[in-house]
Amino acid sequence: MAFLIKRPNKTPLGLYIHVPFCRSKCQYCDFYSLATKDDSLIDGYLDAVCDHIKEAGELAPGYKVDTIFFGGGTPSFFGAEGIAVILTTIRRNFDVDDGAEITVECNPDSVSDRLLRRLRAEGVNRLSLGIQSDDDEMLKKLGRPHTYSQAVMAYQRMRKAGFRNISVDLMYGLPGQDIQDWAETLDNVLRLNPEHVSCYALKVEEGTPFAELKDVLNLPDDDTQAEMYLTAVDTLKGRGFRQYEISNFCRKGLTSRHNLKYWTGGEYLGFGPGASSDFAGKRYSLKRDLQAYISGIRDGGDIIEDLQEIPNRERAGEYLMLRLRTSQGIEAREYEKMYLLPFAPLEEVMEKRRRLYHATQTDTGRWVLTPKGFLVSNDIISDLLLAQDGSEPLKKL
Amino acid sequence: MTDLSHIRNFSIVAHIDHGKSTLADRLLEECHAVDQRIRAEQLLDSMELERERGITIKASAATLHYTAGDGEDYVLNLIDTPGHVDFNYEVSRSLAACEGAVLVVDASQGVEAQTLANTYLAIDANLEVLPVINKIDLPSARPAEVKAEIEDIIGIPAEDAPEISAKNGINIRAVLERIVADIPAPQGDRNAPLQALIFDSQYDSYRGVIVYTRIKEGMIRAGMDIQMMATGAVYKVVEVGTMGAGTLTPAEALGAGEVGYITASIKTVADTKVGDTITGLDNPAPEPLPGYRAVQPMVFSGVYPADGAKYQDLREALEKLKLNDASMSYEMESSIALGFGFRCGFLGLLHMEIIQERLEREYNLDLITTAPNVVYRVTKTNGEVMMVYTPLDYPDPMEIQLAEEPYAKVNIIAPQEYVGNIMELCQNRRGEFKDMVYLDATRVELHYEMPLNEIIYDFFDALKSRTRGYGSLDYELIGYRPSRLVKLDILLNGEIVDALSFILFADNAYPRARKICEKLKENIPRAQFEIPVQAAIGGKIIARETIKALRKDVLAKCYGGDITRKKKLLEKQKEGKKRMRTFGTVSVPSEAFMAVLKLDED
Repeated sequence: MAFLIKRPNKTPLGLYIHVPFCRSKCQYCDFYSLATKDDSLIDGYLDAVCDHIKEAGELAPGYKVDTIFFGGGTPSFFGAEGIAVILTTIRRNFDVDDGAEITVECNPDSVSDRLLRRLRAEGVNRLSLGIQSDDDEMLKKLGRPHTYSQAVMAYQRMRKAGFRNISVDLMYGLPGQDIQDWAETLDNVLRLNPEHVSCYALKVEEGTPFAELKDVLNLPDDDTQAEMYLTAVDTLKGRGFRQYEISNFCRKGLTSRHNLKYWTGGEYLGFGPGASSDFAGKRYSLKRDLQAYISGIRDGGDIIEDLQEIPNRERAGEYLMLRLRTSQGIEAREYEKMYLLPFAPLEEVMEKRRRLYHATQTDTGRWVLTPKGFLVSNDIISDLLLAQDGSEPLKKL
Repeated sequence: MTDLSHIRNFSIVAHIDHGKSTLADRLLEECHAVDQRIRAEQLLDSMELERERGITIKASAATLHYTAGDGEDYVLNLIDTPGHVDFNYEVSRSLAACEGAVLVVDASQGVEAQTLANTYLAIDANLEVLPVINKIDLPSARPAEVKAEIEDIIGIPAEDAPEISAKNGINIRAVLERIVADIPAPQGDRNAPLQALIFDSQYDSYRGVIVYTRIKEGMIRAGMDIQMMATGAVYKVVEVGTMGAGTLTPAEALGAGEVGYITASIKTVADTKVGDTITGLDNPAPEPLPGYRAVQPMVFSGVYPADGAKYQDLREALEKLKLNDASMSYEMESSIALGFGFRCGFLGLLHMEIIQERLEREYNLDLITTAPNVVYRVTKTNGEVMMVYTPLDYPDPMEIQLAEEPYAKVNIIAPQEYVGNIMELCQNRRGEFKDMVYLDATRVELHYEMPLNEIIYDFFDALKSRTRGYGSLDYELIGYRPSRLVKLDILLNGEIVDALSFILFADNAYPRARKICEKLKENIPRAQFEIPVQAAIGGKIIARETIKALRKDVLAKCYGGDITRKKKLLEKQKEGKKRMRTFGTVSVPSEAFMAVLKLDED
């Protein structure tokens, strides 16, 4: 009598595969990737990732993989063959849910019909296309190896190949950009009718080519960037998108389930150099060095950069920092139950923010930030962390 | 006990960076006073800060045993002196413990302001001055010219001055031979009543204060009852002895002419004032040695813990520092803006910086320091005369009949091509030109009288930058003069932040007020609302800036699961908030206070 056999409740798990290869490096990018398609490197990478997945699979018997995300780098540039090999390895070594969300990041210059067909065949059901801008001059400035019309063509190919969950990435706060430019970018791109949009403010990261040029880039000031952000929020809302995270918008409930794991305390394992994991109570990232990754996996050397067991209070801080990025927000009872810390000091901070129209409380009592609040979320979160700092653990619930 | 004829007591004087401490180290090594293994960078400058800043802050002494060319064994007592104008009195007391001074002059730089100032101090103390030309191995060395300079400018013979390189150990014995030959042996009667000059003291947590002393008359030995003649304090001597580099060697007794240390279970250096005379309780000297004066702090500043809860820690740290530094003063003060803290007095700005750095480093404190000020003298309309140590106490303008500020005599030496720059600088600082003397064909000495207030901020740095580092400075207080003073208040969001108020010359108020408002605008983070920053004199606003409301502070991309880095950023932001002081509704980070202090640097 099969219904009497109690199925073990498996914990959901996300897998992130970092593909560190690109056609060229963009001027602003600080993710770990190499501008190369050196066969021996790619083979070495593929072997290492697959071996790594096999090792990890043995450690996660109680888990069910419900999201897989190929990020980078440029997975589409890496090619469908490699992705297929990795997916096969994952399926052999992990329990992958039938309805798992499987995302592959693509750049317009490496999207072919053949690639898309193969990805579909391998069960990939979500694509994320890096469009960034609709202005070819701007794309050039950013060091993107494609034009806007290439991006539009890539998008149409994806649709034609049958993908029904496509996300596009856009950037604002770009050199010389004004609000009008940004509004037009949104208009143009939304005409494509994507299910999901991510809008990121350009941040000049140390060590990138843009960092050197910062003073001559003519970047919009903070106030203009804030306007751009609010423009995006309004526009997307007007087109039926729901904002479910600071920078992420979706239609028909098609959130990025994988990315939501990052923001809601879900567990995930990362593979490939530079990938991060949060698994079994520990956070760690892998060294940002492909050779070290390959030889580390082969010879059993150390590939972990920085491993931390996160104490309770810090987890509680993460809850505040990450949940407030999302439309789920935070809630007193949930917080107290999870961390045995009092919510009262935090409530006080949120009340103050409510008066500034930075936060609202839903019918169910959850505190969520408004778009205006999202814009100053660091300020709010650091206030919360400060309020949390002095609090005594609860004696009882 | 060494016979008087075989003792030489000397110190080394020099302009900063001319190689005084390096020479001291070489002399110690030459006389095997140093274990090579424990050789630190510079042996006598034992404070970490001293080594970093390359200057001697406290005096220190060492006894050397030297077998001279004549085959006789000599005891040479080297008394190191502080090397900065802030510590001139300490220098004078160290010199009073000697019969001679080795004057180190850089072979390429030649005579500088402090070369002169220190030599005059030595000559005033009746010391035999022994010039030594250092750094002769430098390509730019010009020993013959420098010797001529010494003879022309200082007026002492320098023809036979040893030419040495302390750094490379060249000709060090020549210096030792000259010390034995030219510096007079000390005089004194070991049977006379005790007169011992305190030239320095140090607090040691095991033994209490270690007093460094030069015995002028009589003898001192363990078990003896002694009295400090200025403070009247009485102690029983626990131990006497002589100093090596970093070591103390107990001796049975110290007699006239000798230099050494004593311990007597003394709890604080405030009881062992530099310049005071120690005498015996049983057979006291009829009068103290000449030259003692109580050291007065000249510059005052409010010192507050950045985190208000650390007030007790700051108090304890100051208490401990005071044990070792009698020239610093502190008194409790409370500010509406900063809460409880201390008004601290310092000999000068360098002294102030040193104390602050020590508090922050050795006691791990985060401090907020208010703008330093001098002591003003105010005669009120009711005839009462008050000394104003803090802007908090400055009376209402209506109550002031006469306000006065301290003036100093300033001597500046620089190459003549910078005279224009220097005059412009001094004029900007309200200097009154007195005269200008050509020291030689290329260098001049300028004399000014200038408000002390204009000197303490950054005058020395400004002088250095306007003379490409060649200008040197020396100043001494000459008294109070009437002045047009105002108190400038800073308002944040309409409320006066008392800790930012300060007193200044009326004509400087407008430009300074504008600069302060600009600096505060740069350094106060945007808040949820607009913040006006205003400067006012007696309620009248004279400058204004506006800090716009915060619009954007967000990590747009939190992606790929790399949360650790973002977390660190937020953690840092949180810590920053901890260190902010809230005034009314405005949060001000301690950096903003620092920025106001450093107003003149750009």
